[in-house]
Amino acid sequence: MPILSKRFSIKARDYLRAGEVAIEVKGILKKIGLDAELIRRVSICAYEAEINVVLHGGDGTLHLFVDPSAIGMVVRDNGPGIENIELAMKEGYSTATEEAREMGFGAGMGLPNIKKNSDGLKIDSEKGMGTLLAISFDLKEE
Amino acid sequence: MAQMSRSSSYIRMEKGLCTGCVLCMKACPTKSIRVRDGKATRVGDRCIDCGECIRVCPRGAIKAVTTWSGQAELSPHSVVGASPVLYAQFGNEVMPNDILIALRKIFNYVYDQAYAHELYNAVTELYIKGNRGKEESVWPLISPACPVVNRLIALRFPSLLKHLLPFIPPREVAAREMRRRFKEKKIFGDQEAAVYHISPCSAKMISIQAPMFTEKSYLSGALGINEIYDLVVKHLGDEDEDLILHVSSGVGVGWGMSGGEIAGLDDVACLAVSGMQEMIRYLEKIEMGLFRNIEYFEFRSCREGCIGGPLTVADKYQAKGILQKFGRMFGHGKRVRRSQVQRAYQEGWFLKETLEIGTVKGEKRLPIAEAIARQDRIESILRKLPGKECGQCGSPDCKTFAEDVADGQVKQESCFQLRASG
Repeated sequence: MPILSKRFSIKARDYLRAGEVAIEVKGILKKIGLDAELIRRVSICAYEAEINVVLHGGDGTLHLFVDPSAIGMVVRDNGPGIENIELAMKEGYSTATEEAREMGFGAGMGLPNIKKNSDGLKIDSEKGMGTLLAISFDLKEE
Repeated sequence: MAQMSRSSSYIRMEKGLCTGCVLCMKACPTKSIRVRDGKATRVGDRCIDCGECIRVCPRGAIKAVTTWSGQAELSPHSVVGASPVLYAQFGNEVMPNDILIALRKIFNYVYDQAYAHELYNAVTELYIKGNRGKEESVWPLISPACPVVNRLIALRFPSLLKHLLPFIPPREVAAREMRRRFKEKKIFGDQEAAVYHISPCSAKMISIQAPMFTEKSYLSGALGINEIYDLVVKHLGDEDEDLILHVSSGVGVGWGMSGGEIAGLDDVACLAVSGMQEMIRYLEKIEMGLFRNIEYFEFRSCREGCIGGPLTVADKYQAKGILQKFGRMFGHGKRVRRSQVQRAYQEGWFLKETLEIGTVKGEKRLPIAEAIARQDRIESILRKLPGKECGQCGSPDCKTFAEDVADGQVKQESCFQLRASG
C-alpha cells in the first residue's frame, strides 16, 4: 500500500513563519487531489497544532502520513507540556503569554478546534515532558 | 453550471522576442509556464490571465489580446463603459466628465460605470447585514469583482468558491442594464447594442468569454486602456457639448484603487488586499479557517488595485493620487437613492444567474492510491534536489521540477546542479 510520509520542523516563537507548515501540508493534500472539505479540516488542525508549538512548544516537528485509508499527523514538541489536559480541551482556556496574545494568538481554541475538525485525537503530555499530538482523519474512497 | 474553460487564455507569447530567461516562469502564480528549448512556453490549461508574466518580461514578448487588438470589427451600434481607472490616466487637470465626453465622440453612447459600483456597494451592505448571525452564512465573503481572483480561487482554492459574494460583477450588471434600455427604447432601431468595457487588464476578456456568475456575458468585448488612450487624448479638447455624463461620487470612482471598493461599505468589517503574492497568503489563511471576524474581503490581483493593471498607461502611484483627489472632490457618500437600492436588492438585480459559481475542469484526477504514490515519488526526487530554485532546468522551482520529473515531462538530468554534484 502506498504511503506518503513527510516531516516538517516547527520553530518556537517564529511568529512570522507561523502557519507555513500548515500551508505546505495543505498544498500536498491538494496535489493528491483529496476532497476540498477534508483538506480544509486537515489544514485547520495542522494550523492549530503548528501554532501551539510556536506559542508554547519549544521547537517541534509535524509528521504527515497519508495512505489510501487515512491521514495522520503526529505533532511533537519539547516544550513545557500540558499540566491539565482536560482543562486545555475547554474552549477559551489558554495559557498563552501576553506576547502571543498581542500577536492575536492564544484565544484558547486550539485543541478544541483540532478535536472538532479531526476524526481522532490523542494527546500525550506531562508537565516538563513536552507534548505529542496524534491527529487522524478517515479517508473514504469516492 | 458555468464551466470555465481555462485553455483559452488571452495572453500571447511571441517566441521570436523571447530570450528564454526565467522571469515569467517564476512570476506565474499557477506555475503554467516552462522554458523549453530556450523559449517560454505555456503548459496545461492553468493560465488565469493575471498578467504577471506581461509585467516582468524585459523584452515585451508577452502581450494581452483584447477585442480591439484581436482586430475584430467593433459594432457600429456601440455603447461603452469604462473602468474608473481610465479617469486617472490623463493627469490632474482632466476630469471624468471630460473623458466621458471624449468617449462619446468615439462610440455611439457612453455610461459612467462607476455609478454601478455605488449601487453595488449599497446592495452588498444589505446582503451582509441580512446574513449576519445566520447559521448557514459563510464568512468572510470575498468580492467577485476581479476575474483573476475568481479564477485563482476556482483553480487553487476551490473550497473558497462558496465565499464569493453571489453577485454578478458590477460591469456586467451595468452592461445588462444598458442592453435592456437600448432595446426598450429602440435607440438603434431593431439592432442590438454592442456593449464594450474599457479595461485595465486582459482578464476581462476571459470573464466575457467564460463568465462565472452568468450563463453568458452581457458585454460584447473589452478594450485595453492603452489601446484607446491616444484616441481619447485626441478628443479631449472637444468642448462643444454641455453634457453631464459623470454621475458617480468619489466612492464609485475610488473602485479603481485597492481599498476603493470597501471604502464604499458602511458598517462592515472588511479588509482590502492587493498583489498576487499577498493575496495568495491571505487565501491560504482563509482556507485554514482564519479571519472569521472579517465579513468582506476585497482582493485585487494587481498591486494597488486595478490602477496597477497591465493595460494601463499612467503610473499606478500617480493614478492613485488622482483618484484620491477625485475622492475629495466628489465626496465620499454614495449617490444612490435608498428606494432604488431596496428595489434592486429585492428584485435580485445583482444576484448571480448560474446555479453554481463556475467550477473549473479539474486536472486529470488519479485514483487515490496512485496519487499518493506519485506524491511520494515527488518527495523523494525533491529530497535529492539542491533547492537552489534557479529555474535553469526549465521548471519554475525545485518542487515543480520534481513534479515534472515524476510525471515524465522532463528527465532528472535536466537539473544541472544535480549533474554537477554527480
